[in-house]
Amino acid sequence: MGTGLPGGFVSGLRHPFSGIDHLLAMISVGLWGAFLGRPLIYALPVVFPAMMVVGAILGMFVVPLPSVELGIALSVVVLGGCIALSVRAPVWAASIIVAVFAVFHGYAHGKELPSAADPVSYSAGFVLATGLLHVAGICLGLLNDLPNGVVATRSMGAVIATVGIGLLYRAIGL
Amino acid sequence: MLPPALLFVALGLALGFAPRRAWLPSVLALLLTLAALTLMHAPPGLANTVFAGCWISVIATAASVHLKRELPLWAAVAFSVNVGVWAAAVVSVSGSRYDLLKALPCVSIFLPASLLVARRASIPVKVVSSWVIAIAALAATLQLLPVTPGYLPDHLE
Repeated sequence: MGTGLPGGFVSGLRHPFSGIDHLLAMISVGLWGAFLGRPLIYALPVVFPAMMVVGAILGMFVVPLPSVELGIALSVVVLGGCIALSVRAPVWAASIIVAVFAVFHGYAHGKELPSAADPVSYSAGFVLATGLLHVAGICLGLLNDLPNGVVATRSMGAVIATVGIGLLYRAIGL
Repeated sequence: MLPPALLFVALGLALGFAPRRAWLPSVLALLLTLAALTLMHAPPGLANTVFAGCWISVIATAASVHLKRELPLWAAVAFSVNVGVWAAAVVSVSGSRYDLLKALPCVSIFLPASLLVARRASIPVKVVSSWVIAIAALAATLQLLPVTPGYLPDHLE
């Protein structure tokens, strides 16, 4: 018998695909990592889940965090903008940027986690989905090796940043 | 089935960084530990302790992929015994021995992992390891919250 609450592995797996803000931010992390090359191509997708867990724990314990929606929208703008402008951030700076935004994304997921039926499977699903979106971003980054590929990936970054600006307006309530 | 599966995946990822000569002793150590301990029953009152040990083991085993050197033989065998102990313990307090059989093939992830490591393409292995660590850390935290942590039946079950 179920509890009627959303939960379980499949529900967690679907969750990051259900919101455009999370989806674009995760893809951007992989895409920017691929843009920056080693070691950030793997450092960013490793930093993100680690800090997402920190955010999720803050969310689970309902530790107040200011403007979560604003932080998430800002992550889409900044990450998309970094790709569009081909920002070659140093390792420490890129890691800090991604780590800070990961806390906001983790917080939003973590707040929902305790009310999910079977939260352990739910968390397994959404961590896996998050990781797969990073991999999708890295795969899109492979376009950089093709002629005019950099133009294509930078254009994707511009589109992501533009959508992010729309999300930012919505989050601010303008 | 998820806790033993995560233990076996973490062990498989760690073995990907171990020398080939460590594979057989490690897998044998795992199977012998499981065979010896699956017949034992942990007291149900220890469920939270057993799961805490399981999640800590998942994190420690998966984190070993970030070691600078390759995993030595003794460490690979020690990880295998530790994973066997906690996998047997978790199915003893929650789930069935059949879950162990279903989850055991997850260890075979060491084959593709070692291939990638040998080709100096260990990035995907490290990324997957970070996912496993994240899941275990979240699961461990859920134990500290006043919610049904998923491996226990809730009030409707």
